[in-house]
Amino acid sequence: MNRDFSRPQRESAFGIIVMAVHTIIKLTKALFFFLIYAFVKMGGSYSRYTLIGIGILLLACLIYAYFSYLNFTFFLDKEKQEFVVNKGIFNRDQIIIQLDKIQQVNINQSILQKIIGVYGLKIDTAGSKGEEVSIKAIDEVSAYNLKDHLLSSRTQTTERTLADTVLDQPDGVLKISSWTLFKVGLTSNYGKSIALITAFILYLIQEARHIMEVFHIDKDIVKSTFLSFATIFSLAIIVAVLLIAFLIFNVARTFYKYFQLEIIQYKQSLLLSSGLIAKKNTLINPKKVQITEYSQNYFQRKLNMLNMTLKQAHFGGNKKDGEMQGNTLEIVGCNSTERDELLKMILEKIPLKGKTFVPDWRFLNLPVFFKLILPVAIFLVLAFRIPEIKPFIGFAIVYLTIGFLMIFISYRKHRLSVNQEFVIKTSGIWDISNEIIVPSKIQAITTSQYPWHKSIDVGRLCLHTAAGEIRFKYGNYSGVKQLVNYWLYQVEDGNENWM
Amino acid sequence: MPAESFTNEPIAIDTLPKFEEVILKKPHADYLKIIWINLFIWIIFTGLPLILSLLFIDEVKPYFAPISIAYLIIVITVCCLYHIGFNKRGYAVRTKDLIYKSGVIAELTTIIPLNRIQHIELNEGIFSRMFKLATLQIFTAGGQSGHLKVSGIPIDEAKSIRDLILQKLDLIGNPSTNIEVLHE
Repeated sequence: MNRDFSRPQRESAFGIIVMAVHTIIKLTKALFFFLIYAFVKMGGSYSRYTLIGIGILLLACLIYAYFSYLNFTFFLDKEKQEFVVNKGIFNRDQIIIQLDKIQQVNINQSILQKIIGVYGLKIDTAGSKGEEVSIKAIDEVSAYNLKDHLLSSRTQTTERTLADTVLDQPDGVLKISSWTLFKVGLTSNYGKSIALITAFILYLIQEARHIMEVFHIDKDIVKSTFLSFATIFSLAIIVAVLLIAFLIFNVARTFYKYFQLEIIQYKQSLLLSSGLIAKKNTLINPKKVQITEYSQNYFQRKLNMLNMTLKQAHFGGNKKDGEMQGNTLEIVGCNSTERDELLKMILEKIPLKGKTFVPDWRFLNLPVFFKLILPVAIFLVLAFRIPEIKPFIGFAIVYLTIGFLMIFISYRKHRLSVNQEFVIKTSGIWDISNEIIVPSKIQAITTSQYPWHKSIDVGRLCLHTAAGEIRFKYGNYSGVKQLVNYWLYQVEDGNENWM
Repeated sequence: MPAESFTNEPIAIDTLPKFEEVILKKPHADYLKIIWINLFIWIIFTGLPLILSLLFIDEVKPYFAPISIAYLIIVITVCCLYHIGFNKRGYAVRTKDLIYKSGVIAELTTIIPLNRIQHIELNEGIFSRMFKLATLQIFTAGGQSGHLKVSGIPIDEAKSIRDLILQKLDLIGNPSTNIEVLHE
């Protein structure tokens, strides 16, 4: 088989099945409740037609998949250093990706792909989501071969023969055990789990309404059974059960995503693999990581573990959170020595905290006013007008104390450490995060100052990078300006690549 | 990089060029006229319907005084803000970066190194063309926030800035060319 991909070639023929199933699943997801509705409403006499309809639909999916398989070819243009994909049934599309613009290569295997014995390969660039390339079925050897070709950048092409021989010997391996994952599940990512659960419950409620309409179930009956349940169990038990369920869900989610998390360092790429059912392999070029972040909360500090996030460039700007996932990679549950090892893999050395900048106490002013005083004042005014709210006035004090504590902690943790090679920004209230950037990744710098802060020499700083902003508020302004001059010197003097 | 050309001496940060001491160029005075023309158009588009409704709709009539006073206050503050904002703007092109200052209350200074620019845009609106002015937009990989818009540059100057940046971008694209040529 052609191993250097210099001629246009198709993906594995199994791709037809993968693609067909993919389309069918998509269709079923979209039409699931419609189909149930159709079956229930139309009754037995028409169900034959419905089945025929579904059969035709399945056949259409298969034919569609076959033709997209025929028209999907890819090859590597070595001279131009480009990866070219041709696809499309009715419209012919050609996607050309410059090799040095490739940010990461994902080699994944879903359950179906596992059964058939093929892999899916996805190429991510910093561009918008639409430009990505996804090869649905490719055998393992070809997948890893192609990945090697894709991620070796221009400068390395001459020493390819040499690189090929060393590629199978990883420079470093890091594994996260299941026990660590369990601890991670108990202590982190609450926010994401809550968001997922709420979205799921909302979806359930909506679909339940559809079903109730279809089956003519009386809403009142549902309500009353619900209420009787609520009275049988006391509120405390319900809360406890919900909490445990939440934690179990969180642990399960962590396991699903990060099971057997492994980070392997090769000559010029970093391989991250994890996943319980569908294994995900992500290959990145460490030099293209824009922001390296590690974060830790109180529990995690006690357990000596932390989560790392590698942020890569994204030009889209207005990408949604879900799409951002591709550009941020998470490594959960490493301890401090493993963190240092990872930092060495990505940044070549462990960044030390140099000169540290501390914000002025005026940092507190705006958040205290807008988040505490203003809302409480409005609440109090309302409370004295509307008698129904009056008994809840006590909550204002609780809100004020908790709010002030949080703002004060965020002030205490807001730090910017700078040395010759790195910028480290510390921030957070519960999860304390450290964002590390190399000055050469800076795209633009903004400084700003309010006129009434001129006399006390306080100002703000914002470093724009391709993976987001690093902001530092209420720092010593002349110190900040000096730093800006230094960073500008570093960015402008060297022609160091940021991508 | 050949080893003999590599040096690593300590840098005296105080001797580095200071961005805050660069003398900034103000936008062309004619640009203030464009701002006022735009404000005038905005006032007509918002004010005319308001006046008409105040005069002809019976339900609104009793509130003639408060509404018109509120509107006047808004118009005057907006005009003042734009006028002050114009005076605060300034830009400068150094050999290796571009500085832009703006902001009505807070003074914002953005600096974009020329070797981090992704692409540039030169815009000429109808009114800008009448006064031979242009707007230069600078895009970096820093997304929305790293994007700069410098308005009210005389068209010839804008074109020469554009050419300078393009030349610099070309040099970065082909590192084989001698970069030092540009500095002279």
